Amino acid sequence: MAFDAFQKRKERQLLWLLLPALVPLLILTIYPAVYAVYLSMTNEALTGVAAAKPRFVGVANYLRLFSDGRFWNSLFVTFVFVVGSAIIGQFVLGFISAIALRRKIVGAPVFGAAILLPNAAPEVVAGFMWISMLAGGDHATLSKILVFFGLPYVDWLQTFPLFMVVMVNTWRGIGTAMILLTAGLAAVPAEVYEAARMDGANPRQMFMRITLPLMAPTIFLYMLISTVSTISVFGLVYALTRGGPGNKTEVISVYIYNQSFTAFQIGYGAAGAVVALVVSLALGIAYVRSLKVEV
Amino acid sequence: MSFGPAVNAQMNEKFRYSEKWKECSILSCRQNVSVYIWVVTLRDMRRRRAVREEIVNKLVAGGLAAIALSLLAGTANAESLRVALHGQAGIDAFTPTAERIEKNLGIDVEIVEYPAPDKDYMTKLLTELAAGNGPDLFSIPSAADVADMVAAGYLAPVGAELAAWPEYADFVDVAKQLAVSPDGETYVVPYILGIQQIYFRRDVLEKAGISTEQPEDWADLLARAKEIKEKTGSFGLLFPAGVSWGGGAFDEGFSHLIIGSSTPQLVTEDGKFDLTSQGVLDVFQFYKDLIDADLMPVDPLLGPEPWVIPKYEMFPSGELAATTCGSWCYIFDWGRESRNPIPDVTNVVGTWADPGQNGGEFVLANLGAPWAVNAKAANLELAKKALLEAGSVENQIETAARIGNIPASNAVQKDPRFQALTELVPIQAAANHGTYLKQATGMSVVSEGVARATEALLRKETDAAGAQQILVDHVRQTLGDEAVK
Repeated sequence: MAFDAFQKRKERQLLWLLLPALVPLLILTIYPAVYAVYLSMTNEALTGVAAAKPRFVGVANYLRLFSDGRFWNSLFVTFVFVVGSAIIGQFVLGFISAIALRRKIVGAPVFGAAILLPNAAPEVVAGFMWISMLAGGDHATLSKILVFFGLPYVDWLQTFPLFMVVMVNTWRGIGTAMILLTAGLAAVPAEVYEAARMDGANPRQMFMRITLPLMAPTIFLYMLISTVSTISVFGLVYALTRGGPGNKTEVISVYIYNQSFTAFQIGYGAAGAVVALVVSLALGIAYVRSLKVEV
Repeated sequence: MSFGPAVNAQMNEKFRYSEKWKECSILSCRQNVSVYIWVVTLRDMRRRRAVREEIVNKLVAGGLAAIALSLLAGTANAESLRVALHGQAGIDAFTPTAERIEKNLGIDVEIVEYPAPDKDYMTKLLTELAAGNGPDLFSIPSAADVADMVAAGYLAPVGAELAAWPEYADFVDVAKQLAVSPDGETYVVPYILGIQQIYFRRDVLEKAGISTEQPEDWADLLARAKEIKEKTGSFGLLFPAGVSWGGGAFDEGFSHLIIGSSTPQLVTEDGKFDLTSQGVLDVFQFYKDLIDADLMPVDPLLGPEPWVIPKYEMFPSGELAATTCGSWCYIFDWGRESRNPIPDVTNVVGTWADPGQNGGEFVLANLGAPWAVNAKAANLELAKKALLEAGSVENQIETAARIGNIPASNAVQKDPRFQALTELVPIQAAANHGTYLKQATGMSVVSEGVARATEALLRKETDAAGAQQILVDHVRQTLGDEAVK
C-alpha cells in the first residue's frame, strides 16, 4: 500500500519533470502534425476562392498526389539524396575521420576542427557559398581551376545537379557523423583489442570482428538520426538549386514547399507533408526494430 | 591542532585586516570565527542584494524611459502605414512617394523590404495576408494574381476612390479596363503598364545580312530565328518558360503567342477557362519547334534564376539575338539602370510587334505591378489615400525612370521629366493600342499550369498535346472540373 503510494507520487513527480518538454512538444510538434493531416483533406490555398472558403475534399489530395509523376520523382530524388549523402557520404567519411582522430597523428585537432567547420555555416549561407564555387561561367571557383589547367569550364549545378547536392550535403554532415561515431568508438573497451592482438588478429579482423559489431548500436542510431534529418533537409537544396534544373534535385521537402508556397496549394502540400512524415516514421520504426536500439 | 584548509582560507580572507582571531583559544576562536564568518557572509549577502536591487532598479527605470521615449517618438505622427516593397529599383523608385505620403497625410510610412524575386515576394505577401498580418499597401507583380487575390478577400475595393480622383481621368483606357476585376469592381490602381513586344539585336542581324523587318506571322518569326542560328550561331529567339521563371512564363512568354493565335482569349463569357482550344495547342507547338531546333537557350531556363543568363548576359553579348521583353528592357535590363548595359541601346536593339499566327501585329499590354490596399489594413481610409499617392503622376515618372515601365496617365506627356525619357515617350503615346488577356479568378493557377507545361517541353518530356494536357490537368485538379470549358 505504502509502496503503491510512493510509486504514484514518483510517477507524478516524473510527470512534472517531463512537463517542460511535453508542453512544447504538444504545441509545436504534435498539434501541427495533426493539423497538417486535417489540412491535407481540404483544398485550402493561399490565394483564390479556396483561400476564402476552403472545402473538405476527403482523400482527393492523396489520390492526386499518388498520380503525380513529380511527387514520385521527388521521392526517388529524396532516396538518392539520403542514401548518397547521409548513409554513404557522411557515414563513410565521418567514420574514417573518427578512426583517424583516435590515432596519434600530427595536426589531429586541426583536422577535427576543419571537419566540424561546415556545421558553423547556416544551410542557406553554405548553399550560396557553394553556388559561387559550382556556378557556370568563368567567375566560379571550380571553373577558374579548370581554366587554369586549360580545360573548359563546367556548370556543375546544371550538368551534375543531384551529385553536387549530395556532395555538398555530405560535406556539411561529416562533422556530426564524426562526433557521434567518435563517442561510439570511445565506448569500445581497449581490453578487447588488446586480447585480440594477443590472439594474433590483424587490423582488418579487429575492425570487422570487434569495432563494427560493438559499434552497431551507435551506427544504427546515427543512421536513424541522419536519415530522418536528411529527409527534411530544405534550406541547403533550395538555396543551391530550388529543386532544378527541371525537377532533378526536387527532394520531398522542396516539392512540399513548391506545392504549398509557390503554387499556393496548402492542402495539397500538406498531403505531401503527411506522406513524408509517414515515410520518416516508418523508416525510424524499421531502424529501431531491426536492431532493437534503445532510443 | 590546526583548522582545515577551507576554514583557514576563509579566516585569512575575512580577517585580513584584523589580528583578533589570533588572540583567542583554539576552541573559542574556532566558534568565534564561525559566528564571524556567518555575520560577515550575511552582511555580504545583504550588500550584494542591495547592489543587485540597485542595478535592477536602474535597468527598470532605463527600460521605462526607453519605452516612454519610443512611445513619444512613435507619436510624432499618430498614424503609420506599412508598405511592402521588393527589389532595390522598386525601393528607390518609391522612396520619394513615401516621403510625399508622410508629408501630405501627416503619417509615418514604414517601408518593409520583401524578398526580391517576384515569386518569393508573392510567397511572403500571400502568407502574411492569409495570416491577417499583411502590409497596408503593396504592389502585385503579376496581373494574373489580382483576380485570385480579390477572390481570397485580400484586396480592398477602391473603385469609388478612383472615380472621385481627378487624376484618374487622364489614365489611358486600356489601363482602366485592365484594372477592373471579373466582379466589375476595381481593386488596384493601374499606375504603370507593361508594354511588351519582341526585342532583337539589330546590329547582330544587320551584320549577318538578316532582315530586320517585322515578321509577318509565326512561320516567318520561326524562319527568322532559324536564319539567325544558321548565320550567326546565336540563339534566335527566347520566350520565357518553365517553373523557375514564375509568373514570367505566362506574362512574358505564353501571352505573347496566345493573343495572336486562333483562340486569343483564355476566358469564356461564363468565366470558364478555354484551355483545350486549338490556339493553346498551337502555342505549345511553337515552343516545341523552337526547342527542338535548338533556337532557344534551354539550360539557363531550368536553373534557379532563369532570367539572369539569357537576359543579362547572352542578349547583351549577342549570344541571344531576339527575346520577348517590355519597355523596361531599354532602361532596366540593358539601358542606363542595367549592370550590363548595351551601348546606344535604342539603336542597337530594335522591336517587332508580336506577329499573329496567320498575320497581324499585336503589342501586349498588362498591368505593371499595380498597387493595392490590404482589406484588413488598420486604417483603411488612410491606406486608400496613400494608394492614390502611389498612383500619382510623380510616382509613375519616378518608376518609369528607374525601371522603364510605361506611365498609365497621359498627363506625363506634358511633363518635361518624362519627355527626358526618350526611349519611353513613343511607347507611352501608343499604349492605348495594346492587346490584353481577359482576367478571371483562377488565372494564377493557369499561369502556374503554363509554367509546368512549358517546363515539360523544355525538358523534352512531352509534345505539344502533352503540354496542353499538363495545363488542363493542373487547372482541373486545382480548381475543379467545372473551371475548364
